[in-house]
Amino acid sequence: MSAKEKSMFKSGGSAPLRGLGMIAVSALVLVASHTAGEAQDKKFKLGMAVGGNPCCEWMKAQGDVARTLAEQRGWDYIELSNNDDAATALKNAGIFIQEGVDAVIQFNGQPSANPALAQRFGSANIPVVTYDIAQPGFYFVGIDNLAAGHAGGEALGNIIKEKWNCEPDLVISAEGAAAGIVNTWRTGGMRDGLKKVCPDIPEEKWVSFESQGQATAGLPAARDLLAAHPEAKKMAVVGLNDGGVLAAINAAEQLGRADEIIGWGQDGAFITGDNVNPHLAGSVFYFLEGYAVYALRDVIDPIAAGNPPPVKDDAGDPASRVEPCPVSAEQAAKVPDMPERVKLLLAAPPGTTEYELFCPNK
Amino acid sequence: MAYQVIGRSVATSRPGARVRLDGWGTAVVVALAWLLLVVASALNRSDFISHQTVLAVTFTMSIVGVLAVGQALVGISGGFLDLSQPTSLILTALVAARLLAVDINVAVVVVITVAVGAAWGLLNALIIVYGKLNPVIVTLATNFVGLAALFLLFQIAEAPINSGFRDFGRSSTLGLPNIWWPMVALVLIVGFFLPRTRYGRHAIAVGGSRFAAQARGISLRQTRFAIFTAAGACAGMAGLLFAASSGPFTPSSGTVYLLPVIAATILAGVSLAGGRGNIWLILLSVGFLSTVPTSLVFFGLSSDWQAIFQGFILIVAVAIDGYRERNVAR
Repeated sequence: MSAKEKSMFKSGGSAPLRGLGMIAVSALVLVASHTAGEAQDKKFKLGMAVGGNPCCEWMKAQGDVARTLAEQRGWDYIELSNNDDAATALKNAGIFIQEGVDAVIQFNGQPSANPALAQRFGSANIPVVTYDIAQPGFYFVGIDNLAAGHAGGEALGNIIKEKWNCEPDLVISAEGAAAGIVNTWRTGGMRDGLKKVCPDIPEEKWVSFESQGQATAGLPAARDLLAAHPEAKKMAVVGLNDGGVLAAINAAEQLGRADEIIGWGQDGAFITGDNVNPHLAGSVFYFLEGYAVYALRDVIDPIAAGNPPPVKDDAGDPASRVEPCPVSAEQAAKVPDMPERVKLLLAAPPGTTEYELFCPNK
Repeated sequence: MAYQVIGRSVATSRPGARVRLDGWGTAVVVALAWLLLVVASALNRSDFISHQTVLAVTFTMSIVGVLAVGQALVGISGGFLDLSQPTSLILTALVAARLLAVDINVAVVVVITVAVGAAWGLLNALIIVYGKLNPVIVTLATNFVGLAALFLLFQIAEAPINSGFRDFGRSSTLGLPNIWWPMVALVLIVGFFLPRTRYGRHAIAVGGSRFAAQARGISLRQTRFAIFTAAGACAGMAGLLFAASSGPFTPSSGTVYLLPVIAATILAGVSLAGGRGNIWLILLSVGFLSTVPTSLVFFGLSSDWQAIFQGFILIVAVAIDGYRERNVAR
């Protein structure tokens, strides 16, 4: 074969190859342009893991508010419940990763699962907002639980000072050990706040019971505690939340000692509506149901816009701080109940918080 | 009165004929254990003997006692255990709270609530009888299903705080909680009538030996329906007392009762194999078990120890029950 022939053969042979190459390149371009179009059209996808503890209506409402705000932004939204269970929280993390969410918000009442969750989400490069319970690597959005504890304790201290000259017979702590550090901050913070106003209450006057954060579950233990202090007349109650404090109040009612007990709760779950116990003198609102406003405004919106904020995972220096709002029962009576608050919140201008809308002590 | 089916034969007529008095040994043992606990607690702290302690113990007794009566009926009739009580308790408490919230007359609320409890028991019986299924598995399953349904229905409920119903639940008569008296009445009435009525004797007979009972013409089906419906009605009554005396409750608030109720039932001498048990002894077993957590607090132990002690007592009671069964078999 001559050089020319070789050349002809070569050029003639390259034509079908070139054609094939053209087709391949065209296909690649098509796929690439389609993918690029998809990427352009791809909606931001938000995952929300609600706490799932049946104790508290606000856990469900947290999901409802997040869903509405996500839909207002035209995002895809996936909601799962942690069922207040560490294993379920881990399983949910796997589902979020499979679903390819762009960011996750969680309320996880079982903080023991958080390190494993951080590892999973970190491997998948999915940013996570955690409500109220800090975890390294997660954006912290929430209340300063210690400050909320102090605020509630001081408010109760002022009542005790005025009513009993800072000389209660008993200061009862309604603990909720399962809440871990949150219990330490809130319940311990309330004790510290109370001590700030009434520093000379003797050590033996301070007693505790395990309320499990629930009025009915904590009732028998509270009853036994009161029975073991039959001489106590003037009793003050602090605790993890309104439910725990109510356990002690209900026990005092059953033992015929209700006139001698004053409680101040946390979380505001039982301080609004028309069924408020008259011995619950006040509570601290966090407006938990509306946390998504903070999370989206300060963390998720910038992420969706391609400008992720620096991770602030410390409760002392949070990505978004929720202000505690201590209220007396009288003040709380003027605050709408939770379903109404949610309605008003979602109708308010974007970024407006419930603290701004409803806290009487701003 | 205590009763037992002799040698697993059938008791269908007069209680004194085939059902013999038995179980007072159990009564003495439980009463002694209770007395020992009270004396030890009083020696540890003299203020244990106080009206406040009596109130704390009797409040704890009330709901557990009513549920234990239902549990004992199921046990005596050979149904082993009704594990759906946590759901039926909360379901009926929810019904009571919701009806009271719309100002329905308390008497009507009582009737409807107990009827809902009975209907729940009837549902259990329907599944057990027509599905020919093990009562333990069925009640375990209906408890799961019911609990899930309750979560869909509500998050938190509470009977109106300023109602007469709640006042009743928080107040006392003759120095003892109002909700304690219906429990005592129920225990005495059921304990009296169980061996003296046709259905009661049939239940004991079926629990003793279902095949022998069927051979004597006793309908297993009818007995199951009667017993589970009655047990459900007991749960309805417990739901009423619970709604009257407790604060805000959630769908899962009933789960804490299951362990003490089962422990009290077995400790009262109710045979897990059926055919034997003394409803009246529930007063002693519930009283003893309800005193344990109060005593623990007086001893300076936290209430967390309560479940440990109750679990331990349950194990001992089951072991004693097994020993008794072996003796009966011999």
